[in-house]
Amino acid sequence: MNSNKQSLQEKIAQLSARFMSQLPARLETIQDQLQLLELEPDHRSEPNQLLLADVYRAFHGLSGTGRSFGLTDLAAIAMRAEALIRQLIESTDKIKPAHWSAEISGLLQQLEQYASCYTAPASNDNRADHDSISSAEALASDFKSAAPLVYICDDEPEQIDYLAHQLRCLGYQVEHFSQTSSFREAVMQQRPDAVIMDVLFPQGRTAGTDELARIKEATGQQLPAIVLSGSHSFESRLSAVRAGCSAYLTKPASAMELAAALDELIKDKQEEPYRILIVDDEPEVAEYHSLILENAGMVVHQIHNPTLIFEALDHLNPDLMLVDMYMPVCNGDELAALVRHIPEYVGLPIVFLSTETDVQKQFSAMQAGVEGFITKPVVPSELVATVMLRAERMRTLRGLIAKDSLTGLYNHSTTTEMLVSALAYAQRQKEPLVMVMIDLDKFKRVNDTYGHMAGDQVIVALARLLKHGLRSTDVVGRYGGEEFALVLKNISVEAAVCLLNSLREAFANVVFNAGQQQFTCTFSAGISAYPGYETAEALRLAADAALYRAKGQGRNQVIVSENEDA
Amino acid sequence: MKILVVDDDQLAGEMITAILHESGHQVVQTEDAMQALEVLSQQADIELILSDLNMPFISGLELYHELKEQGSTLPFILLTGDNPEPILAAEPGLNACLMKDFSMSDTLPGVIAVVMAAHR
Repeated sequence: MNSNKQSLQEKIAQLSARFMSQLPARLETIQDQLQLLELEPDHRSEPNQLLLADVYRAFHGLSGTGRSFGLTDLAAIAMRAEALIRQLIESTDKIKPAHWSAEISGLLQQLEQYASCYTAPASNDNRADHDSISSAEALASDFKSAAPLVYICDDEPEQIDYLAHQLRCLGYQVEHFSQTSSFREAVMQQRPDAVIMDVLFPQGRTAGTDELARIKEATGQQLPAIVLSGSHSFESRLSAVRAGCSAYLTKPASAMELAAALDELIKDKQEEPYRILIVDDEPEVAEYHSLILENAGMVVHQIHNPTLIFEALDHLNPDLMLVDMYMPVCNGDELAALVRHIPEYVGLPIVFLSTETDVQKQFSAMQAGVEGFITKPVVPSELVATVMLRAERMRTLRGLIAKDSLTGLYNHSTTTEMLVSALAYAQRQKEPLVMVMIDLDKFKRVNDTYGHMAGDQVIVALARLLKHGLRSTDVVGRYGGEEFALVLKNISVEAAVCLLNSLREAFANVVFNAGQQQFTCTFSAGISAYPGYETAEALRLAADAALYRAKGQGRNQVIVSENEDA
Repeated sequence: MKILVVDDDQLAGEMITAILHESGHQVVQTEDAMQALEVLSQQADIELILSDLNMPFISGLELYHELKEQGSTLPFILLTGDNPEPILAAEPGLNACLMKDFSMSDTLPGVIAVVMAAHR
């Protein structure tokens, strides 16, 4: 349920940020209207009622919408201005009181100060809205936008330039700001996935963390942030806690340490919603259950005819299936048994919905491999809890079985399975598919010279770079010790080569530390593609052969399987 | 359920829309009373109206009166930046009057549920 709440909070935060960015323009309009009022020929003449009504509504809107977004200070000032205008509208003698003009422009000034505190110049607002992006650019931006966006705010450029460069080499998009004001402007334009903030700035001993706290107050949302500070002081650490930062690193920190802390911060966001398949012959019932689960942040797909089950399973790859017990074509337990006959779905949790309270019948369903029973009519919280619990357990189990413990990447057998299903999908959709085999160059020498700890560091760094640099739909697997496999969906060979080369160059720039020594490492890659090779095994062998050639030709390069050149 | 939202402030309207989407409702968003009346005449499946009070030309209350005059029985919830108590006292026919503030995301779904339950 939390994930759902989160997304609403995010939407509201975005709207709030937009409101803030529109503020200067709104205030300018009011300013113009007030000037017109001032220009009236005679101070004792009657002010223009239409104009007054406009100004009144403008302030009223600021106070109302401001309050909607939780900007209580702003709303309070706008409300005072609103009251002042109303006085004038309602007063019987229709003459502006002596101090009226000074008062109203004083309030407007306060509002402007408030606005300038939080808003950015609206110069390059719409730069992302270009219609005619060529497909290559679109693809590149596709990959780029998948990379986590990190803002660093620190006024010591020498250290930070190096760190930023290293983080970019690990696959992050990094923006560096040396002043809290430019940082704030950037946050209002685009929220980063994570922030690295210094505490001490020339303007104050805790200016950095204070800025984070202010942004939180203005947008109603916590920025995911870690502190990187030269200070060990209690005051500095306390300010970090108060600003809601989740880690405190002291300088000098290595890019690896920062990356680990950043990934910890970003991890939650990347958790995909649970995918639930509902099979129920009554559309209204299916819709009702679907609404309840969607409200809890799950992705729900419904079918009303059990014979469509294969397409639905293929299409959704669900974490759990919710099945009505009694349906015209086939019963729920028959459907469960049928699904269990497909090897890929032996482990899929199946929950029955039925009016059945007969324990004996429930038991017979259990024998067909059903995980749980929910009795109709459904209690929403019970449905969510039952489904959530089982889907979560399924994910955890799948994760433990499917993932490599050092890198969190898919292991050998899962990667192979995913290649098989991705290939089947590509063949159905008539889309290209690219398989890449990657091997670290002279990795044995790294282990022998710098120790296994250093070797692990290299493997984790490459895993991180691959994860950040690819789209979430791509498969990244650790195939063996220092061998990685990628499955890239719907991408041309040329684009894949280009992508791999940029990853290769980035990785070659990552500097590793082992005790007092520093070293770098490179990788070689072999690429094969469908169409060209029609089975998973053929794809893998061809990519392997290409990789072997890359090694033979001097390593640190990307080679495409020969069949592809034709 | 399909809900008509009327708010001259586009951002405020979007915020209400976001909250309603979150509770699984469909939303038609309009920026003034004229648009709202047009939508109502075309889309018969709208079940509830949520309107801002203070809008240019035709206020939320005027829209409410106009609809009553046309014989509409749709439940009507008024949103306002001011204290809702005196408005409700003056207009007892309103199904609800709600203060626009930061707690709306928590309170609005509940108010809608109560209004719809009472209406049926």
